[in-house]
Amino acid sequence: MGDVLVNDKYETFVGLEIHIHLLTESKMFCGCKANYGDEPNTNVCPVCLGYPGVLPTVNERAMEMGYVVARALNCRLSRKTYFERKNYFYPDMPKNYQISQFQEPVGVEGYMDFEFGDEIKRIRIHDVHLEEDAGKMIHAGDMSLQDFNRAGYPLLEIVTEPDLKSGEETEAFLRAFRRTVRYLGVCDGNMDEGSMKCDANISINLPGAGLGTKVELKNMNSPRFVRRGLQYEAQRQASVLDEGGKLIQETRLWNENRDITESMRTKEMANDYRYFPEPDMPPFCPDDAFMAAVEEAQVELPLTRKHKLMRKYSLSSEQAEFIHDEKGNADYFERVLALGAEAQSVYTWLSSDVQKELNLLNMTLTRSPLSAERFAELLRLMEEGQISGKIAKQVLIDVFEENEDPSRIVEKKGLSQISDPAAIARIIDKVLGENEQVVQAVREGEQKQKGFLVGQIMKETGGRAAPALVQKILSEKLS
Amino acid sequence: MKKEELLTTASLALLELEEGEVERLGEEVARMLDYFEMMTKLDVDGLEPTTHAFQKTNRLRADVLNNNNNNNNTNNSFNRPLIMENGNDVEDDFFVIPNVL
Amino acid sequence: MKDLEGWKKVLTDQDRAKKYREYITGWEKKIGSLLEWKLPEPGKYRDDGSPLSAVPFAVKDNIAVEGFKLTCGSKILEYVKAPYTATGVKNLQDSGAWVMGKTNLDEFGMGSSTDNSALQKTNNPYDTSRVAGGSSGGSAAAVAAGIVPFALGTDTGGSVRQPAGFCGIYGLKPTYGVVSRYGLTAYASSLEVCGVCARTVDTTRSVFHAMRGLDEMDQTTIDFETVSSGVKTVGVLKVEDGSLSAEVAASYETSIARLKKLGYEVREISIPAMDYVVPAYYTIATAEASANLARFNGMRYGLSPIFAESPEDLMRYSRNMGFGEEVKTRILLGTFVLRSGFQDQYYVRAQKIRTLIRQELDEIFAECDVIMLPLFPTAPFHHGQSELTSFQQKQADVYTCLANMTGSPGLAVPSSLEKGLPVGVQFMAPPCGEERLFSVAEELEKVFPAPRPAGYSEEWRS
Ligand SMILES: [Mg+2]
Ligand SMILES: [Zn+2]
Repeated sequence: MGDVLVNDKYETFVGLEIHIHLLTESKMFCGCKANYGDEPNTNVCPVCLGYPGVLPTVNERAMEMGYVVARALNCRLSRKTYFERKNYFYPDMPKNYQISQFQEPVGVEGYMDFEFGDEIKRIRIHDVHLEEDAGKMIHAGDMSLQDFNRAGYPLLEIVTEPDLKSGEETEAFLRAFRRTVRYLGVCDGNMDEGSMKCDANISINLPGAGLGTKVELKNMNSPRFVRRGLQYEAQRQASVLDEGGKLIQETRLWNENRDITESMRTKEMANDYRYFPEPDMPPFCPDDAFMAAVEEAQVELPLTRKHKLMRKYSLSSEQAEFIHDEKGNADYFERVLALGAEAQSVYTWLSSDVQKELNLLNMTLTRSPLSAERFAELLRLMEEGQISGKIAKQVLIDVFEENEDPSRIVEKKGLSQISDPAAIARIIDKVLGENEQVVQAVREGEQKQKGFLVGQIMKETGGRAAPALVQKILSEKLS
Repeated sequence: MKKEELLTTASLALLELEEGEVERLGEEVARMLDYFEMMTKLDVDGLEPTTHAFQKTNRLRADVLNNNNNNNNTNNSFNRPLIMENGNDVEDDFFVIPNVL
Repeated sequence: MKDLEGWKKVLTDQDRAKKYREYITGWEKKIGSLLEWKLPEPGKYRDDGSPLSAVPFAVKDNIAVEGFKLTCGSKILEYVKAPYTATGVKNLQDSGAWVMGKTNLDEFGMGSSTDNSALQKTNNPYDTSRVAGGSSGGSAAAVAAGIVPFALGTDTGGSVRQPAGFCGIYGLKPTYGVVSRYGLTAYASSLEVCGVCARTVDTTRSVFHAMRGLDEMDQTTIDFETVSSGVKTVGVLKVEDGSLSAEVAASYETSIARLKKLGYEVREISIPAMDYVVPAYYTIATAEASANLARFNGMRYGLSPIFAESPEDLMRYSRNMGFGEEVKTRILLGTFVLRSGFQDQYYVRAQKIRTLIRQELDEIFAECDVIMLPLFPTAPFHHGQSELTSFQQKQADVYTCLANMTGSPGLAVPSSLEKGLPVGVQFMAPPCGEERLFSVAEELEKVFPAPRPAGYSEEWRS
């Protein structure tokens, strides 16, 4: 099924609840390793297994990351934040309440700007709050296997207002959001691995009529699926209304195999989470030092970065889009420029030959052997005429393969350009001597054959002869 | 308190009351709720709720791993074999529970 | 420290150990204070000379001690072994003391008689037809019977002090947060604390100081910044509404007379919000309990019926079969007061009343160094609900749950024997004022030390 065009009779409202796994060492409320790919139930302790008598203790780093994100999303930061218990029974949740935040989350009333097409859109953030993840249950025939490695994993939930207008726009927002949390270094943003999850509320209504009946959409494991799920759902809701039907408030799951949303069979029991302040942990009042650290952790956000790249280095929107996608790449780009390279040339190399090599070796730029210094050096060697562009491409591959500086490779392999006229003249004499018939033909006016001679000369020098000099001396000798 | 309310409350608490319990426990719960009613006689305007006995704030735990060898001053060691032993049904380190669909 | 010297022989002297074993196996059958106990291999333990070194003690069975069961007096945890040790217990172990057993209690600490234990009956050492009080009835009875020199209890609304009074010993509820709650199976987290049952003030003090301390595992623990220990003025709560039994009223008068005779300035005080203490206390306690007890669902440990077909069924069956009726009642009540639409009326209002009570107590402590008040309206009652229904037992928490609502320390002190049954009184001090409590109690101890029930023996260690 291709992209569905939503009936433009209706206005669509989408709000998101995004959960991100914070990149901490330990869990939210205990010292267990925050890593759930390990052998089952190895990263567990009495605390995260909900043993009688245990108490939660707040992870300092997670608290800091919560504030860092809330600050980056322009939220009003809480001067006194505290946790609450959200009460409901769930087989994977050891305490049968989730420690979360409700009345005083780390941040409220923020916003995030992102680019959608040519427009800058602003999405309001309702709140940013810290909480813990549940364990995992694997269904196996007539039993279920429980693994609590993930139980207690630090989560940050970001709740947006229903400001998004379509599946496409939501996808663009999510990609921008993902980029933002990666820039901040608080989450890797991998939706397919579950370190970032997104539930959506969607409703449609006639223009001007406000929000419609809300449907909660779950199980969309990539920005693309979020778009497709929302597109499908908007269309489905429009069909229901067009046929005179009534929408019901429900939770639906995106089925990525069938490309449709399906109603989740839930027992009809009203949720009443009975939130109340967590008595086991005191409130947290950030002091000046903490707030200073939160400021310190702020980075230039992707959208600003992109515009700066365009302005400062005269990159096109597409070029800047490519460079700014990963903070590390943008930093790298600017470092190479600071070392004297020229922007367009750096972009061209990064987007073609370097990218090709990275894809081939399945590496990221910042972790590859091609450091900014090596890259700048490579470009400089070329600029100074020490190597030709063709040789430079070979040297690039060698840098990746041998993890050596370009100058060292050039020296070791004797790749530097021959620019001594006498040396070139000697080689030309040799080639001319070996191709007397061709020389004769050129002298008789067959200029095309001259190219053959140049090729032979370059072959003789392993491509190292300075092309301009070759042309000049050859012309002299043939005239 | 209506029986309906009692049963809703019981289901939120994941308790399933048998007939006799509905009577006995319902009666006791109702008696206590009646008793609680007297709190409405007191004027509590302007009082902040006390949620913690002593509000010492800002206790945070450093983000370091508990290596369970208790060579520090923190009482965070535990007996892992006992945790597995307490499991009613443990297979390959998974806790196994029934789920007949 | 004389009190503890003889006890060390249980662990260090093979001959005494044997006599001790004989003594308690006989006596304990009548009392039923211990759910589980053991003695070390003879001669294996050494006394390094420090006060608590090689001293045996017992721990209420809702406090975790690695390797021991942690039943909480409940069917749902009957076979669960603690995989870790509570910080308070750990601190005592680090001082050289040795856990000999776990004591009986009202299921999850919910009760005033220990009759709510699903596992065992505990009797008052002074009259086995009567209760030892609760919920730390096993700890109080074990100490009163001379089975251990001290035992740990937990006090959510009076659960250390009331049974201590019923058994004629000292019972300390420390300032909230001064002793770690890590390892204390939570009933009402914002109210409770681990406490001490002991035969002498001196032992109570040593144990308190050994077990307390800021704990990284409990972020509600606070630094112990002791207030001046001198006591001149004692505020005495005026009780003239006829709520005290004749015996308790008489004993209360005895203690007032002693205070005067000892030269304290005795002032009558009243606490206007007293009428609201119990409803507010039970609102908060049950609300917190409803969440705290949600973790017991037969999944990772505990009673797990084999006939369940789904995780949901398993959780429901486990809870239905595992919890007793008092526990279920309190869970229901606590769930109800937190429900949306009811929360402001009950839970939030109760938390505000708590603020009011604290303000009233602050005013009193500005004038009085300590206050004295009754522990419980009656002397130890008979088993069952014939004398006091479960509702009346809750109302009777009025004098003790005050300290839990304010976080202040409270100490039960033996006052007299009335018709052969012990009656105690209670002292309260401002937060971190434990030394004031010990100071008054020591003066009173000289006049009336903890009594001994018939059947009590020290012969084996003398
Ligand atoms: Mg959430
Ligand atoms: Zn853990």
